[in-house]
Amino acid sequence: MNTAHATLRRVPRIDRRFLPVIGTVLTLAVILLIGELRYGLGSGSRAFISMKLLSNLLVDNSYLLVLAVGMTFVILTGGIDLSVGAVVALVGLVTAKLFMAGASLPVVVIVGVLIGTTCGLVIGVLVQVFDIQPFIASLAVMFLARGLANVVSVQSLPIEDQGFAALAAWSLKFGEGKSLWRINASMIVAGIVLLVGFHILHHTRFGRTVYGLGAGDQGQAVRLMGLSEGRTRVLVYVISGTCAGIAGILFALYTKSGFNLTGIGMELDAIASVVIGGTLLVGGYGFVLGSAVGVLVYGLIQVLIAREGLDSWWTKVFIGVVLLGFVILQKIVAVKRQ
Amino acid sequence: MSDNGRAASLDIGAVLRKASGHSTFWPSIALVALVIACGVKSPGFLDVTVQDGHLFGQPVDILRNSATPLLLALGMCLVIATSGIDLSVGAVMAISLAVSLTWIDSSPAGGDPGTVVVALLLGLLVALVIGVFNGFLVTVLEIQPFIATMILMVAGRGIAMLLTQGQITTVTSPPFKAIGSGFFLGIPNPVVIAAVVFTLLALLVRRTAFGMMLESIGINREASRLAGVRAASTTWIVYVVCGLLAGLAGIVYGAPTMAADANNIGLMKEMDAIMVVVLGGTKLDGGRFSLAGTVVGALILSALERAVVIFELPSQTTPLFKAVVLIAVCVAASPLFAERMRLRRARAEAARAGAMTSEVVA
Repeated sequence: MNTAHATLRRVPRIDRRFLPVIGTVLTLAVILLIGELRYGLGSGSRAFISMKLLSNLLVDNSYLLVLAVGMTFVILTGGIDLSVGAVVALVGLVTAKLFMAGASLPVVVIVGVLIGTTCGLVIGVLVQVFDIQPFIASLAVMFLARGLANVVSVQSLPIEDQGFAALAAWSLKFGEGKSLWRINASMIVAGIVLLVGFHILHHTRFGRTVYGLGAGDQGQAVRLMGLSEGRTRVLVYVISGTCAGIAGILFALYTKSGFNLTGIGMELDAIASVVIGGTLLVGGYGFVLGSAVGVLVYGLIQVLIAREGLDSWWTKVFIGVVLLGFVILQKIVAVKRQ
Repeated sequence: MSDNGRAASLDIGAVLRKASGHSTFWPSIALVALVIACGVKSPGFLDVTVQDGHLFGQPVDILRNSATPLLLALGMCLVIATSGIDLSVGAVMAISLAVSLTWIDSSPAGGDPGTVVVALLLGLLVALVIGVFNGFLVTVLEIQPFIATMILMVAGRGIAMLLTQGQITTVTSPPFKAIGSGFFLGIPNPVVIAAVVFTLLALLVRRTAFGMMLESIGINREASRLAGVRAASTTWIVYVVCGLLAGLAGIVYGAPTMAADANNIGLMKEMDAIMVVVLGGTKLDGGRFSLAGTVVGALILSALERAVVIFELPSQTTPLFKAVVLIAVCVAASPLFAERMRLRRARAEAARAGAMTSEVVA
């Protein structure tokens, strides 16, 4: 009797908070395994899983990582931000225009990020003060940003500033020959954003309030605890908007141009990354580090499709399939625990 | 005498109050304002002429262009009523059109009415299957509608690209083209199709218990289930209807050009549809919905696009005005605004009461 009790207690209990993320880690493991078997040690060539792979993923997806960090804040409160893709386009074009007008690099970067912050603030005010659903408020700002981007220019504008080009080209190189990998400015920025996001969510009162808003009770619990509900709700959109501003700069670094049709559907890439990262859309559950893993999964799918030599539209189909598989997996994991 | 005057003015006030509480009040105001603005800018704006027995004119164009968003939005409205959402409709437009045109393209007689009917049915069948799939995810697997429909929003466009081999499939088929650019009794076909769909759905939701079931599911799914509403199957049907209408919208939209551009057909149209539903006074939380409001919303969107042209602005600025109208209508309908109006009225009443007492004293 006693021994039975003891063995029961010895069964490792997984904290319920980590349940949604188990699916994320499993998904990542499965995709890495497929890659390793098909193109890595399994096919007799060099290891597929390497620092080079990680570095390439981050070079290509640092802007998405920054978007996903901001999106995680919003989704944790049970909201959504559809405007980020349009904001990225707007920031890219304004960046290009400012350089043409002869503005200096720091000015351009600060203005670009502040455009994102402003868009976020507008959404936050619409949601908090006018009680408009986040979906609609952010949809309106998406139209606003896309329209403004179209006003700025309907042509692709190249960015030829030398400082900007130097920043885009700068990198720290590690390793030799074929296993050479590097760290560039975008990766550092994305890493800092991720760490700051992690710190805010897990070590500050504001972060705990963000989780509290996701309880699905219109912020009642938060209010009763004497935490500032309204301010927090506005701030998560400001954070997401600021991240979109940063991502806009990173995307401009990545493409060295601004174009009014960039970022169509980018918000859904960010949302999908956050969802695959184990954050629940109802709010209250999830981790910003999970979202980072979600971005890696997203990038890995693109790598696998490219290595298979398949056409780019297969990427969309596979991302859909992975989303479906992931959501079902998450259901199974969650049901098993109950 | 003054009493009579006051009574009359109070009546008008009461009517306005009652009207402004109605969900279609602000959208109707927005639509009327748009039409008036266009009429002032271009005096011949409201003229409708008859040529070869067909109606022509700006209002007819607005109606014709509102057909596609309306078809999407009617299905979306029912889905939103159950507190769901369907993000896949844009991709479904692309898939259905791709299926129809691929069929016509592969058949020897593309201009044959029989071929066109089969192509239509195939396109709609695929849309129906997608609706069944979405409904399955939402009701059986109980996946959140946003994610469940996002799967096909992402994958669907890829599937459409696979169907057309990444090319733009073009065909020549007069009967197919007529679906989108022909006329029935002088009225453009898309308008007729949208009107028929609206009438059928309106009868279904207001003349049977179906609409009430949707609203009860939207308010509280579990309570509805316990009260004997078949929540799961009813919700499932709604996603099927939404998918089917999205397929129809894709065919109607692509018929005039007879070209399936899988990359761009229906791109971001799901957002337009959701905007139309919201403009029509339906809330995203589910529960209360208005098909008539959705019609007004679709007309606003279409009139807005036309107004941008009439005011000689570049068409790329349209999203700006969409944002302005969306924010204006939502803010006008927001509780904060209603509260402000109520306070103002209360103050006016108080002032009037004060005036009356002073009259009595005098």
